[in-house]
Amino acid sequence: MEILKNPHYDFLGKSKIFVPLSILLTLASLAYMTFHGIRYGVEFQGGTQVIVRFTSPPQIDRIRSVVDKTARGAVIQTYDDPKKNQVVIRLPGGEQEGAELSVQAQGVLAGLARDYAENPVKEFSTEIVGPTVGQELRKKAVQLTMFGLLFQFVYIWFRFGGAAWGAAATIAVFHDVIITLGLMVLCGYEVTLNVIAALLTLVGYSVNDTIVIFDRVRENLRQRRKEPLDKIINDSVNQTLSRTLISSGTTFLTVLGLYLFGGEVLRGFAFAMVVGIIFGTYSTIYIASPIVVWWQGLRKDRRPAARAAL
Amino acid sequence: MPPALQNPFVQWLVLTAILAAAAYFGMRPELRLRATLYGSFLIACFLAFWPPYGKDDQPGKIKLGLDLRGGIHLVLQVVTDDALNATVDDAVQTARDQATRKGIVFASAQRIDATSFAVEGVEPARVKDMRDLVRDFFRAPDWDIREPAEGRFLVKMTDGYVRRIKDSTVKEAIKTLERRVNQLGVADPVITEYGGRGDQILVQLPGVTDVEQAKRVIKTTAQLALKIVEDSAPSETALLQGHGGKVPDNMEVVQGAGDTAGQPVFYLARKEAVITGRDLKNARAGVDPQTNGPEIQFTLNPQGAEKFKRETGRSIGRRLAIILDNRVESAPVIQSQISDNGRITGRYTAQEADELAKVLRAGALPATLKYQQELTVGASLGRDSIRAGVTAALMGMAFLAIFMLAYYRLSGLNAIVALTANLVILLGAMAYTGATLTLPGIAGVILTIGVGVDTNVLIFERIREELRNGKTVRAAINNGFERVWITILDTHATALIAAAFLFQFGTGPVKGFAVTLVMGLVANIFASYFVSRFLFEWVLGRRQAATLSI
Repeated sequence: MEILKNPHYDFLGKSKIFVPLSILLTLASLAYMTFHGIRYGVEFQGGTQVIVRFTSPPQIDRIRSVVDKTARGAVIQTYDDPKKNQVVIRLPGGEQEGAELSVQAQGVLAGLARDYAENPVKEFSTEIVGPTVGQELRKKAVQLTMFGLLFQFVYIWFRFGGAAWGAAATIAVFHDVIITLGLMVLCGYEVTLNVIAALLTLVGYSVNDTIVIFDRVRENLRQRRKEPLDKIINDSVNQTLSRTLISSGTTFLTVLGLYLFGGEVLRGFAFAMVVGIIFGTYSTIYIASPIVVWWQGLRKDRRPAARAAL
Repeated sequence: MPPALQNPFVQWLVLTAILAAAAYFGMRPELRLRATLYGSFLIACFLAFWPPYGKDDQPGKIKLGLDLRGGIHLVLQVVTDDALNATVDDAVQTARDQATRKGIVFASAQRIDATSFAVEGVEPARVKDMRDLVRDFFRAPDWDIREPAEGRFLVKMTDGYVRRIKDSTVKEAIKTLERRVNQLGVADPVITEYGGRGDQILVQLPGVTDVEQAKRVIKTTAQLALKIVEDSAPSETALLQGHGGKVPDNMEVVQGAGDTAGQPVFYLARKEAVITGRDLKNARAGVDPQTNGPEIQFTLNPQGAEKFKRETGRSIGRRLAIILDNRVESAPVIQSQISDNGRITGRYTAQEADELAKVLRAGALPATLKYQQELTVGASLGRDSIRAGVTAALMGMAFLAIFMLAYYRLSGLNAIVALTANLVILLGAMAYTGATLTLPGIAGVILTIGVGVDTNVLIFERIREELRNGKTVRAAINNGFERVWITILDTHATALIAAAFLFQFGTGPVKGFAVTLVMGLVANIFASYFVSRFLFEWVLGRRQAATLSI
């Protein structure tokens, strides 16, 4: 079975539409995140999160009236499959220390046992994060993602012998990360540590995809010395197209499985991967390649110094 | 049939062995070395992790993270300033005592902040003597002495000394916590330094359900001191009235737990302790024979007993304050000389008495601990997570297997074998290194499956392309593998770079993700490249095949 046989699409020609579109999407994402604000998970924000499993279906308003006695401003929602009778209670942290938050969480559980005794708590999980830890972690997450991108840039620059390649791959990945993050915020997902892990994985995965194409360009450049760079790049995208689609497709379906069956804890992680893979594949084809052509055009040197470092 | 052969497992084993032998002798001799190497490596990996998760009494070989098996995860901050304060307080006491002994008159000697103290108003005639004394007792490189004005000495800890004290405080706290956690009887706990700041400790207690008890046992500082009482009163001002309104130099005020009627009590006690927690040999919970209430009984080590005997002999009729974490628990009158044992009575429940005895046995913490982060996971919530994660992984694999078979036909089988090998190596490596599998770690396994397929797709597509260009099957396979080698190295290297940054998030679930991702990537190079290539060459055999099922 074969999906594509010798495809000859004009990908670079379409970049006139897609590059502005991507710039627009990235800016829109950034603007949305700035004005709407990002909802951080408890590990970044500080505060308390209690997941409670009740014996029978819980009544959220009853729980709210109990929780309000201990802490104001709690967010209470059904958690995971409604059949599991689970509720997540999020208490804002403010400037309170970990120990005070811990007392608060105990207060909530004690309150439920006392005032909602007809529906006993079967089990619970708590996550309590002091304010300083959250701030530090948030800083670290941004730093690490940026360093991750920087290292990819340097690695590709070194391996392909030109800053154009590194810049193209890195800009494409940056674009993927920003748009993914924007969509997550739009869909109401919290940014948790798991989501950051997904974004960093995405950095690796998306660059992966780009490298496969760049490798082919490098190979073609060696064999077809007379032809212009844009034609070689366009041919390389076409030659690797079925691979790009199939492996993106298979990875997409595995993370889709994770999104559907992986449970509530991994939902945000899986969502980031699902969206990220779509945009990663798109940006590999429509964003990374035009940047290389454009960059080399600026330098008037139509033959980039792509050489194998091995 | 011999009885041993009736066991289905043995039958299966024999069949496998026969098939393996047939395959081994059927293949080209130059492939046999690789077959043996790869085969034994995969068997070793399989044995390393089998059985992956255990039945009730037998633990599995894959270590599960807290998020999967339930338990407590705490990040504690050691208030290292406590230890610095204590060191400076000691130094002030030394300066004071030594100056008094030498008859040097001075106005005051006080701690300024956590790392420095000042001696002020030294009589002009004795400034030189004081200088010698200070230089003698507070030497470089630990201390830095300055004289900002005549008769004023400013003594400050050097940065190096501060760092050493902080470091040893955290190490001592970890040791104490280890002893305490051992008494809780938790299986494979983790207690280590955490984060880059140098004052945080991570405590992980898998399988523990009574969070509050665990936290009490961990957090109680348990500084025990027995001190002679000079006076007591219901308030601090009343207490100091008889002493000229201020605390005498060698005394201190300690708040009491309250008298029997619940009224507050304040004690004026000698600063110097008769004995401290360090002098204890043992402590256990017992019952007070008079009130039948719970109490803590302790025995002293020989040095402690010596001191205790001397001091109680001297102070019959006076009161002895039993101070735990800066609070007087009780202050009984010394009836007779006591040598090596004593009792702490207070209003405890039996459980409290038991916990206190435990922490006293384990020793005091050198500093207060502050909670920074706390994560508790209920065991059945963890089991839910495992079920969901494993379901997702199996669904992913099943789908990929079907797709690969449909799209690449028999070569798809090759990819499935490679995928299985990949998983076997990954799990084997995890069991062998004792790495922890967390829920994000399961996601890492699923991603590994995805990346593994990616490598196979890269290779298969290249082989197809070579075949289209009119290459023979053997040449197409060789070219396909050789041309993608560099690409595979590059893609794996970049993925590894990204994963390396994930390690920076310290311990916990995300680290588990990074671990499986890194191991999976390395396993994948072996499985999807080398094992897969071997399979192609083996199937190709000696014949000059005209077609390849791809």
